[in-house]
Amino acid sequence: MKNELYSGAEYLNPGHVGCPGCGATIAMKLALRALGEHTMLVIPASCWAIIGGNYPQSSLKVPILHTAFATTAAAASGLRAALDLRGDRETTIVGWAGDGGTFDIGFQALSAAAERGEDFIYVCYDNEAYMNTGVQRSSSTPWGARTMTTPGDKWKRTYKKNIVEIMAAHRIPYAATASIAYPEDLERKLRKAASIRSGLRFIHLYSSCPTGWGFAPEHSVRVARLAVQTRAFPLYEVEDGTTYAINQAGDKPVREYLRTQSRFRHLSDEDIAQIQKYVDQEWKRLVRKAEEA
Amino acid sequence: MREVLEGSQAVAEAVRLARVKVISAYPITPQTHIVEELAKYCADGSLDGRFICVESEHSAMASVIGAESGGVRSFTASSSHGLALMHEMLHWAAGARLPIVMAEVNRALGPGWNLWVDQTDSLSQRDTGWLQFYCSDGQEALDTTLLAYRLAEILNLPIMVVMDAFFLSHTYEPVDVPSQADVDAFLPPYEPKFLMDTKNPYALDEVAPINVYMEMRRSIQMAMEAAPGIYQAIEDEFYTRFGRRYGLVEPYRCEDADIVFVTAGTAAATARVAVDTLRAKGERVGLLRLRMFRPFPAEAFRLGLAHAKKVIVLDRNCSFGAGGVFAQELKAALYGPEAPKLYSYVAGMGGRDVTVDTFSELFTMTRDQDEPPLGSVWYGVNEEMLRS
Amino acid sequence: MSNDSVNTFNVSLFFPKSSTSTVTNKTGTWSFMRPSYLEKTAPCSVHCPCGQDIPRIEMLVSRGQIAAAWNTILAENPLPGTCGRVCFHPCEKACNRGQFDEAVSINAIERYLDDAAWAASIAPAAARGSAKGRRIAIVGSGPAGLAASYFLSMLGYECEIFEAAEEPGGILRYGIPAYRLPNEVLDREIARIRALGVMIHCARAVDSAFLEGAKHTYDAVFLSCGNGASMKLGVPGEELALDGLAFLRSAKQGEGAARTISVKPHGSAIVVGGGNTAIDVARSLRRLGVSPTIVYRRRREDMPAFEHEVARALEEGVRMVELRAPLALARLDGGIELKVQKMRPAGVGADGRMRVVPDGDATELIFADALYSAVGATHAESWMVPPDDGRVVRLSHAAAFWDAPVGIPLLYGGDPVNENESVADAIASGKQAAIALDVFFQKGAGAVKAELARCAVGDGTSLSMEIYLGGPRANRSGRVVSFKDIPTDYFSPSEKKRGASLPPERAIASFEEIESSLDAAEAAMQAERCFNCGICNDCDNCRTYCPELAITALRAGRRDDWSTEAGPARAINSDYCKGCGICAAECPRCAMIIEEQQS
Repeated sequence: MKNELYSGAEYLNPGHVGCPGCGATIAMKLALRALGEHTMLVIPASCWAIIGGNYPQSSLKVPILHTAFATTAAAASGLRAALDLRGDRETTIVGWAGDGGTFDIGFQALSAAAERGEDFIYVCYDNEAYMNTGVQRSSSTPWGARTMTTPGDKWKRTYKKNIVEIMAAHRIPYAATASIAYPEDLERKLRKAASIRSGLRFIHLYSSCPTGWGFAPEHSVRVARLAVQTRAFPLYEVEDGTTYAINQAGDKPVREYLRTQSRFRHLSDEDIAQIQKYVDQEWKRLVRKAEEA
Repeated sequence: MREVLEGSQAVAEAVRLARVKVISAYPITPQTHIVEELAKYCADGSLDGRFICVESEHSAMASVIGAESGGVRSFTASSSHGLALMHEMLHWAAGARLPIVMAEVNRALGPGWNLWVDQTDSLSQRDTGWLQFYCSDGQEALDTTLLAYRLAEILNLPIMVVMDAFFLSHTYEPVDVPSQADVDAFLPPYEPKFLMDTKNPYALDEVAPINVYMEMRRSIQMAMEAAPGIYQAIEDEFYTRFGRRYGLVEPYRCEDADIVFVTAGTAAATARVAVDTLRAKGERVGLLRLRMFRPFPAEAFRLGLAHAKKVIVLDRNCSFGAGGVFAQELKAALYGPEAPKLYSYVAGMGGRDVTVDTFSELFTMTRDQDEPPLGSVWYGVNEEMLRS
Repeated sequence: MSNDSVNTFNVSLFFPKSSTSTVTNKTGTWSFMRPSYLEKTAPCSVHCPCGQDIPRIEMLVSRGQIAAAWNTILAENPLPGTCGRVCFHPCEKACNRGQFDEAVSINAIERYLDDAAWAASIAPAAARGSAKGRRIAIVGSGPAGLAASYFLSMLGYECEIFEAAEEPGGILRYGIPAYRLPNEVLDREIARIRALGVMIHCARAVDSAFLEGAKHTYDAVFLSCGNGASMKLGVPGEELALDGLAFLRSAKQGEGAARTISVKPHGSAIVVGGGNTAIDVARSLRRLGVSPTIVYRRRREDMPAFEHEVARALEEGVRMVELRAPLALARLDGGIELKVQKMRPAGVGADGRMRVVPDGDATELIFADALYSAVGATHAESWMVPPDDGRVVRLSHAAAFWDAPVGIPLLYGGDPVNENESVADAIASGKQAAIALDVFFQKGAGAVKAELARCAVGDGTSLSMEIYLGGPRANRSGRVVSFKDIPTDYFSPSEKKRGASLPPERAIASFEEIESSLDAAEAAMQAERCFNCGICNDCDNCRTYCPELAITALRAGRRDDWSTEAGPARAINSDYCKGCGICAAECPRCAMIIEEQQS
């Protein structure tokens, strides 16, 4: 167990309106600790558009450019261009969007910015549904989950997009998953992403959501950890779209993860077996890629 | 220096002279010549800026918003569907109080696909908080672009410089291109009133609760209300330096006119010939060209039309269910017992020709009709096709 | 118009541009749960007869805070060098880490600490308390007597120890072989106790008359005479047996002395018994070149000797014959012939041990050059133990005769009154007697039990002097942290390590100490394995995860400057805490709790 004194500056202010136990808030706090004061955020419609604060307040000590839902990557591109032309190469720009703003409405702009080789970090803090609007499914919502738009017996029966694979396929210099349950890994990845200045760096950041997933807020970190331990959300990184490395091993059955959340409560043993099969396949694929590297 | 330039090139020349830093655009006919020209300037270094090849107009406006928020002068251009796709971000740019300037080449919206001139695209954006200027030739397009940066940066509102598809965008005309030194003197380097700055960290464009939202909207309206006066002051300076001025509205032979044409864009140039032709026949007719549409220069129109008995408005657009947009706006501006009678005609949409004869016919129809019909009259429509 | 005049236009510019902080929003009002820091009790401490603050000791060692760690032991135990070597370390059996992979090497780390503190000449922090104007006589300088004098000195009493032998230490000096406890180690521990002002009168045997007259000089007497008399085998030919304890005593005085009561090298010996003394005798004989065979009436697993000592004896070539009860000794060919009865297990008895009964009439004969009896010991004289009298108050590790006929309180400790005969339990005796006496003098006999209960460690019988004195440990909850309280995801399996041991063939070549100390890096690494059950070790996991920035560190500056301070130096700001409870749920040490908010 690490035994280092938690030190250094905080860039999150207390008094924000995040839900108790909000994983996305922890994600921001840890990310900014890693990135430091020379950081600017571009935040689209999302939970973080709210947590960021109401006029005239801000919950962050770094500048935020709030922008429209689909535009994180485009606005970040423009901001980067402006800073470059003003001679500011020191500042790191971070697009900070939820899964809806990334997997769905913001995807076109993100893909384009990746293809253009834009110099910024794009963090998708993933809470696996449109949480800010009251828990509607997104293309990040996993197979088996109930949301307000996949209710009752019409729970989601399609798989979550593999966004990291999609981003890696753009051959961006760095794509990685990270989790609030592994703060050192998370901070290392953000620092690494900040140190790379050619091309877009993508971080897929698992951010558990007590409100939307149905678990007690004190379990935010535990649920996030179980996601990694059960391989439902493996921690890995991809350099240049080709070189894979797995950062955290785990082999618990996925049932342990699913059973922590009411959004999966209805799943039968057969359903869970199907999820397990999918998780196993994906893991095998990942391991194979890591071995190739 | 006098050069023969395409309308698109004239705009691009103005953007270069304005020392714009970030240009972000997505291709759409007939705007492409503008951005191609700018891409070339960025590539050859004659413009020290960055051209971002975004994947959509929505992203074009978003990235320009990002760039302006980063404190640099920016530009984009679009048309028709591109502008429609931008719509959300047009609101954002104004609400964010960013002095963005864009060139908008009026083109019809589909379906069916149509590349030709039509003002419905820009007029659909009238409530977004953008200023709009309608140009009628290449020189004016260049000059207005320079004036627009100067004005936008005072108002902290974005400005659309509007020009007709092909008739202006693709037409070569002699254009007096001012020297860089003169432009620099007129348009100093951009000094943003706020920007993204790690040393002075703002959260920009965030949630505005009920207790402030309306005041923020009122602030936009106040800036709009201040715009005509400020524009005129800037234009005075422009005139001193460059010897050209256009006004909010441009009167032509209006002094003693009983009937005055009101229209915008290249159609106004045609109308001018029509005025001369009709005058030659002894008709007391004039032209009051609409240049500034947002904010709507009501006072200038009231003054310009103070002596007119009838006004003929030619709209190359239609607000479906209401009629020609210029006509409606003007009617509202002139409303009152002293107002001249206003005859509204919708014509020339989707690139259909508006000729001198068009104006002559409209003049005759208006002159011979004591009272204007309700709503807009569609001119030049083949009714055969509509019978089914 | 010039630029300047144009630019002076005053245009309204009111839009969402924010630069004030959310810090003025007291979002803590949302909360209906309230987390807080509450340090708890570690099971190792509960099971340590000395009640040592083991999780804190390990925490300090892991940070290299040797002096602080050593002094943390000394707060509860005056003999870390001894215990680090000979303690049967029940702490490690209770260690929660044992349920994860292997228990923490608490014993080896204690040994390391004492060696390191000695090597670095670290000054002990324990000091004599402000004088209370009372004198206590202590009879016997074994671990119980030494501990009593140490703790009584800390409490401000003047102590005099009367020791019959030439040198102090009792069983530690004369009973435990040098390969387990070298005398140099004992000497430095005793020197430390003397430095507190304790007078030790050696070669001063006392008798019951001493007790009669003690009241003229002393305010109380603590009797810790130990069990110095070997028990009899109770079989014919018993006089042929050599006394195991006497042998150990001579062995401790050097090899030469040992040989005077041992058989020649390459000879054989029978050692009768199953306790630690039997094992020590057999292993000492092995070091003199003798081949010993332990004869025990029960099974190996029933032996009262410490399991690791038994194992080590076997490694060193000691033979063992189980389930054989001596029937008679006879002289044969210059040696001894032992007749034994074969025994068999006969179910678990009332004391929880396996009973044995004769296995029919089967007998065997075992021959050796000599036979050593080590079947247990008892007190030498009757006044050394408390009378079987209803007026004697029996405590867990001591007996108190407050209104003894001699006119002053008599307290009894050490093996004669302890259920478990161990050095650590003897030290516990001394501590219990010291606290009991202090309470007695200040509040009277009636207050003793409640005060002892107040300074109990967790739910066990161990006492903490720090708690008694109102130190930071007194703020801890007595709730004992169990394995399921520890979020083990924060730990990864690692290997337990003790100090290196001499290989058996080298070990038996001399009385050289078998086990060596861990080195500093090893000790830190081993200490790092500790879960630090129940105590805040400043890992700051709570602050790392708190989404509200509601946790404040109260100690400023570099951690090295304040890391020896005790207690959780964190505060939860109720202005912002929304009561999510992540801090408490994720505390790797179980040093927090979350409760419903009291309105």
